[in-house]
Amino acid sequence: MSTTGYDATGVTLKATAYGVVAFLVLANLVPFLFILSVSFMPPSEFFTDPHLVPYEPTLEAWTSGFEELRGNLVNSFLIGAGTALLALAITIPGAYAFARKEFYGKTAGFYAIISAMMFPYILLVIPIMDLWTALGVYNTIFGMILAYQVFVTPFSIWILRDFFENLPTDIEEAAQVYGCTQFTAFVRVILPLAAPGIVAVGFLAFLTGWNDFLFANLLTTGTGPVPAVPVLYGTIGGGSGERVYWGKLMAETLIIGTPPTIIYLVARNYLESAFSV
Amino acid sequence: MKQTEDTSSDTEPKQSGASSGNQNAVDASVSGNRIRLDGVRKTFNEGSVVACDDVNIEIDEGEFVVLVGPSGCGKTTTLRCIAGLEEPDRGSITVDGEDITGLKSKDRNLAFVFQSIALFPHMSVRKNIRFGLDMNTDLSSEEKRRRVEDVAETLGLSEALDRKPSALSGGQQQRVSLGRAMVMEPAAFLLDEPFSALDANLRDHMRVEVKKIQRELHTAMIFVTHDQEEAMTLGDKIVVMNNGYVQQIGTPYEIYNEPANRFVAGFIGSPSPNLVECTVERTADGIALASDFYTIPATETQAEHLESLVGETVIYGIRPEYLDLETDRGAFVADLDVVEPLGDRDAVHLSAGSTDLSAVTPQGEIARDTDRVHVDIQTEEAWLFEEDGTRIV
Repeated sequence: MSTTGYDATGVTLKATAYGVVAFLVLANLVPFLFILSVSFMPPSEFFTDPHLVPYEPTLEAWTSGFEELRGNLVNSFLIGAGTALLALAITIPGAYAFARKEFYGKTAGFYAIISAMMFPYILLVIPIMDLWTALGVYNTIFGMILAYQVFVTPFSIWILRDFFENLPTDIEEAAQVYGCTQFTAFVRVILPLAAPGIVAVGFLAFLTGWNDFLFANLLTTGTGPVPAVPVLYGTIGGGSGERVYWGKLMAETLIIGTPPTIIYLVARNYLESAFSV
Repeated sequence: MKQTEDTSSDTEPKQSGASSGNQNAVDASVSGNRIRLDGVRKTFNEGSVVACDDVNIEIDEGEFVVLVGPSGCGKTTTLRCIAGLEEPDRGSITVDGEDITGLKSKDRNLAFVFQSIALFPHMSVRKNIRFGLDMNTDLSSEEKRRRVEDVAETLGLSEALDRKPSALSGGQQQRVSLGRAMVMEPAAFLLDEPFSALDANLRDHMRVEVKKIQRELHTAMIFVTHDQEEAMTLGDKIVVMNNGYVQQIGTPYEIYNEPANRFVAGFIGSPSPNLVECTVERTADGIALASDFYTIPATETQAEHLESLVGETVIYGIRPEYLDLETDRGAFVADLDVVEPLGDRDAVHLSAGSTDLSAVTPQGEIARDTDRVHVDIQTEEAWLFEEDGTRIV
């Protein structure tokens, strides 16, 4: 055993590290705890002195919030899932082509797609509204799914291209030697191996469709398939500064956050291996 | 769970039955399966890089052919052309007279073993081995199972069949990769440096095993390696390549004893042969070869060929084992640099004048602390090359 006492530098470093970690955890956890606590408070309580444990807990905010959101959650889910599926249908072949094929304008094309991510999306709202109205998909779920492809496909192609590029070509060639065409080799060997990347991209695409506010608000009208997030905005009072029912707001926030959390937990094993590559 | 992929073949009519098997394999066993490469040329980057050119090789049924050469010599490209993984720019590849040059690799009835092993990591060993049968044949699931298990037994993989490749050692993985090839009963096996990822002992072991399997199956094997020793030990026929061209084709003995040019002489054999630049001179005793350390008398045969080359520079090649080292007398004296034990023999590295020479002696014959030795050359064993490397005699 060492007799020279403890290592002061090491201890300081460790303490600092734990301090930073504790700060970050609390910065996330404290607001979350307040959200949770306020969602169980009756209105009379959250307008008084701040406190963490509700005096008279109630489910009122949760039931009314859920009631208000129910239809919109279904819309959100359809939009999120549709966005993910369409994005995968477009970007899996696209990313594979960028990863493995040689074609004219490959590099330029790739950067053109990536550069689409550099513009503020609000620029696109007017042309998309105009175009969607002309195409008859304005104020429809399909219209929303299509609109989100503008955000989703560039990063999906980017992530998946790197994923496909990192898979050894030998494995694909082995499949071809042992009886596959290029297409069946892709389906039987490349797709299963790229599953973590595909799940990750699908999840991010779903989140985009689920959480977006800008297009969700502008491409739908009150009578159309409004997703859940704009309803939340309505609960704040549309930014009008009128009296806000904080309890319901917090409950709705948690309700909206739950499905992606569940999906994340289910897909976690895949996601972790996707981003640890 | 293991049989899930067989449903498709189960539902199909089983005209083929257990005995007839893979249509291609049946053809293979009836006919000769001679593989021919005629004038194969392959370039990359729109012709700016010539990987191999004018490659003509004939491989008989059951023959073990080794393509050997330094890295970048075109041996792997040649193999990949045979496998259909590259399409040659020119030339043709035929199996038993049938031109397969334009065929997809899956339609060639050739099995390829990759340097990187290239197993399918998401499939069990069983599925890996069965992959080709599933994709390319309509055998019954019973027949597939039998073949997979036979092959697994031959390779000592029976225990590992239901494991994933990642759970196996490197040697076992390469065996699975061999099994994946064997189960197809192909017209030929193509192996691209299959053992380079294995450690030395395992490599020796696998070499013997592969050679044994090849003898048993009597299937042609085309084996690519950069290791001349591996080439010598394995090949019935060795194809030495350099810079995209075939330098020499021959049996291991032919290649070793009678190299066609300076490159082959220098590449084959360890330690490398001595290649000494000499000037052809006419002396009182006839033709001789003057190097910077000693004037070597030419033998009668050599002299005949050198008659017209007096005054020219030639390369004198002699294997280390044909330099006799003596302590008291010899043709010339050289400084001893290093004695390198090789097991039963020692490689002795010498310098004479400004020339480095190697000799091989029985173990311990030359003491390590010797400073100078006398050297005799067994001149009748020497080769002569022109300056550009062409063999004279």
